Amino acid sequence: MRQGFGGIVLSTAFRLLVPFSIVYGVYILCFGEYSPGGGFQAGALLAVGVLLSRMILGEDAKFNVSGKNSVVLAGVGTFIYTFVGWVTLFGGGKFLEYDFMPIVMEPKHEMHAMAIFIIEIGVTMCVMMTIINLMDSIIKRGDDDGSIE
Amino acid sequence: MQIYIIEAVLLVFLILITCAVIFCKDLLSAAVIYSGFSFCAVLLYFMMGAPDVAFTEAVIGTISTIFFVASLKKIDRWCK
Repeated sequence: MRQGFGGIVLSTAFRLLVPFSIVYGVYILCFGEYSPGGGFQAGALLAVGVLLSRMILGEDAKFNVSGKNSVVLAGVGTFIYTFVGWVTLFGGGKFLEYDFMPIVMEPKHEMHAMAIFIIEIGVTMCVMMTIINLMDSIIKRGDDDGSIE
Repeated sequence: MQIYIIEAVLLVFLILITCAVIFCKDLLSAAVIYSGFSFCAVLLYFMMGAPDVAFTEAVIGTISTIFFVASLKKIDRWCK
């Protein structure tokens, strides 16, 4: 799928819709504690924009993440999650026990909310890049056989 | 009382959409009809009081439809 199958209608709809979907994904990531949503849903919503860009605009789309970069960034997301856990472990607590974070904030629940937000960022990055990598492997398998122009 | 009627209608829709997907010979049509299954499931989850599950189902239904359509460029569209 190097060429994409977008016409003028699909390209215009893509340009109008995708910015809103990305802003909605960031909103769900930030307000996941008070409303339904969280890291997984936000990552999936952010990945939809990249998937549509890859399918509609083709291989040379500007708004794109390649296969190798997606694997590396998924690893970075998992590292963020584990890093928070190990920081609390070295601070004297258990794995992911937020009372022992090195950042000191006076109300305790404030500190919990900050640590959970950092973890959610890691989960979002991992889910988004894994979905992009799945899409990349599907497209690449089609391209190797030469059955797709 | 009316909420049960709506729920029953949605469940009947789920069964009908599943039968349509099974007996459909065109795989692109099957992928598009399957997104209708996802939509009915979203409404059912929302009625049962689980908006978190409903939201996940909506997003994953969209992404799975994209995957089905992308993999249809590899295989034949019509099944025999």
